[in-house]
Amino acid sequence: MSDQLSRRGLLKAAAALAGSGLLVGCAPGASRSATDLSYWHLLTGGDGTVMAGLVDAVNAANLGFHATQTVLAWGPPYYTKLAMASAGGRAPDVAIMHASRIAGYAPGGLLEPWDLDLLAEVGLHESDFPARVWEKCQYDGKLYAIALDTHPFVLYYNTEHAERAGVTDALHSMKSPEEFTEIAAKLQKVTGKHGLSYGYLGDGSQMWRLFYTFYRQTGADMKLVPGQKAQVDKDAAVKTLTFIQSLLNDTIASRSGDGGTATSEFLHGESGMFLGGVWELPVLKDAKMPVDALPIPTLFGTQAAYADSHTFVLPRQSKVSPERRKHVYTMVAEILKRSVKWAGGGHIPAYQPVAHSAEYQALKPQSNYAGIPAYVNYDPDVWFTGAGSDFQNYFAENVQNVFLGSGDPAAGFDGFVARLNKLLDRPQPV
Amino acid sequence: MSTAIDTPPVTAEEVTAQGKARAKRGETLTGWAFAAPFAVLFVLFLVVPAVYGLYLSFTGETLTGAGSGLVGFANYGEALRDPDMWKSLGNTLWFTVLSTVPLIVLSLALALLVNLGLPGRWLWRLSFFLPYLLASTVVVMFWSWMYNPTLGLINGVLAKFGAAPVAWLQDPKVAMVSVVITTLWWTIGFNFLLYLAALQNIPEQQFEAAAIDGAGKWRQLFSIVIPQLTPTTALLVTLQVLASLKVFDQIYMLTNGGPAGKTRSIVEYIYESGFTGYRFGFSSAISYLFFVLIVLVALAQYKIINRRSAA
Repeated sequence: MSDQLSRRGLLKAAAALAGSGLLVGCAPGASRSATDLSYWHLLTGGDGTVMAGLVDAVNAANLGFHATQTVLAWGPPYYTKLAMASAGGRAPDVAIMHASRIAGYAPGGLLEPWDLDLLAEVGLHESDFPARVWEKCQYDGKLYAIALDTHPFVLYYNTEHAERAGVTDALHSMKSPEEFTEIAAKLQKVTGKHGLSYGYLGDGSQMWRLFYTFYRQTGADMKLVPGQKAQVDKDAAVKTLTFIQSLLNDTIASRSGDGGTATSEFLHGESGMFLGGVWELPVLKDAKMPVDALPIPTLFGTQAAYADSHTFVLPRQSKVSPERRKHVYTMVAEILKRSVKWAGGGHIPAYQPVAHSAEYQALKPQSNYAGIPAYVNYDPDVWFTGAGSDFQNYFAENVQNVFLGSGDPAAGFDGFVARLNKLLDRPQPV
Repeated sequence: MSTAIDTPPVTAEEVTAQGKARAKRGETLTGWAFAAPFAVLFVLFLVVPAVYGLYLSFTGETLTGAGSGLVGFANYGEALRDPDMWKSLGNTLWFTVLSTVPLIVLSLALALLVNLGLPGRWLWRLSFFLPYLLASTVVVMFWSWMYNPTLGLINGVLAKFGAAPVAWLQDPKVAMVSVVITTLWWTIGFNFLLYLAALQNIPEQQFEAAAIDGAGKWRQLFSIVIPQLTPTTALLVTLQVLASLKVFDQIYMLTNGGPAGKTRSIVEYIYESGFTGYRFGFSSAISYLFFVLIVLVALAQYKIINRRSAA
């Protein structure tokens, strides 16, 4: 009997121990020292390698701090985590954010503005950035982001195919959708498969990037103000969608191309042109293919280019260490000064001393499209737009069948606008 | 046992009763101590969030903390008027119907086949059950490559027979079917295993008796096997319906709700409204509407099963 009791006692003690261990497990970890900077970003693949190299280089410069990067999955997972960390006040010291997402973060107090005086101390001034890019980093008169780059949607072409089709000059001088189609048709005759590669299937961002480039080229604008109806130009949208639809006819370009297929097709010389982001450049270069790149030609009268920017932001922390904050300013300045490395990945450096440097100007084909920041078009400024946002999904939901050739451009665009109006009508969550 | 002179004598029964009560109290305490780790986690991670979620659904709470404060039934009203909510709910029910029926019928067929006593039975059992052990991410990797419209295995095979390529995940007409096929391949193993175990539990004598009475194999199937499997079927239908209603992973990764919202499930809509749309209050309201639906389904099934077992 007593034997059994003591066994029970032992078990009770064990249970109590296990319970207390569990509670201790919930306690927060030790606090960090003032020289350890936490830095979150969403850059993977080639961009991730370059960014890791930049962070290592800055750490190695012995500037009195050590930055540790945390890489999270691109898109909604990253932005949800960052927003939650900021809402809880336990955010990293510095993070990367697309310029297009600032409108969804700054109004809710999830970001803290940069101090212009402190920036000047580390040698960064407004004049070091392209005006449009600097402006996009502002919200309500305050600077919430420091741009690292501009990464537009551009046109790549296979120089050998272009030579054989005799369209090299025309590629640079074309001014109308008809000319574009003609060039694509000539390239198609050379490749025997497609004239143009463009992957969009199941990827709202890709659809939006091309659409918005041409839409803005018609001179149309898109203004989204919560509480009001979306201000859009339907005629311009229909014109744009009809043109895109006409390209995706399985001769000029595949009707149902997805990202992977489009890249591999262009890589294997099965098409002459490729519509893609500048971040695709490393893959094309590594393949040692004869490739050149240029801004998407102005086909509808007005110079315009869809782009986004990677920027540095200060997520809200409930306890800010002034010392660490100072180190962050230094770190950002040091990365910007080394950003010619970042340009190797295709991006246009935002920091003008680098953009104007001989080293960057010598980078081909990167410097061909270096002029884009002067006329860049970002997503409309409203809390639900931007890279990896639901906005681009909603675009895809309504116009993918237009791209696929089965939907009516006007009906597709109307569906998208109805969706926008619904979002604008809802209470703004930030 | 001790008795005092001044106090009334305590009978033997009373003493044992007291002892029992004390022992029982001790046992209850010990029981609670053992249940405590689970109870604490259950309260912390299930009860508290559930109650807090109910509270949130009556507020305008957002991820950023803007717009908090009670809003009454506004979120519920908005959700009930929201065409996207109804569309997602419709998609979820459609998925449940499309997936539950084959998951029951096919798993039974597979179990019957294996139970026939084919050679290499372990290999069949293993291959039908193996996909169930895979993580949803792995399953989605396989299938999204196979479904790829230009490079995919399925369209490659179809092309050999001269069929036109199908955009499995992008064509609104077939996307949901593709998701169901993937789900079927992935999860049928569990149902199959349960059916197989139940089949092997049917007493051999019943078949012998039926054979003596002249019943053929089909007759035996419908008069012995299927009725004997009823409890298993009832259990599987319940589990399957509940699992299908809360479908999320494979849809999120395969199509992200597309094309044109044709595969967006209600759980995905809750996730979108809350985590990428930042509106916790609204998203909680939808989850509570959905919760009511699930409770109703569970109650209905409970009633049906009870009536059956009573009969």
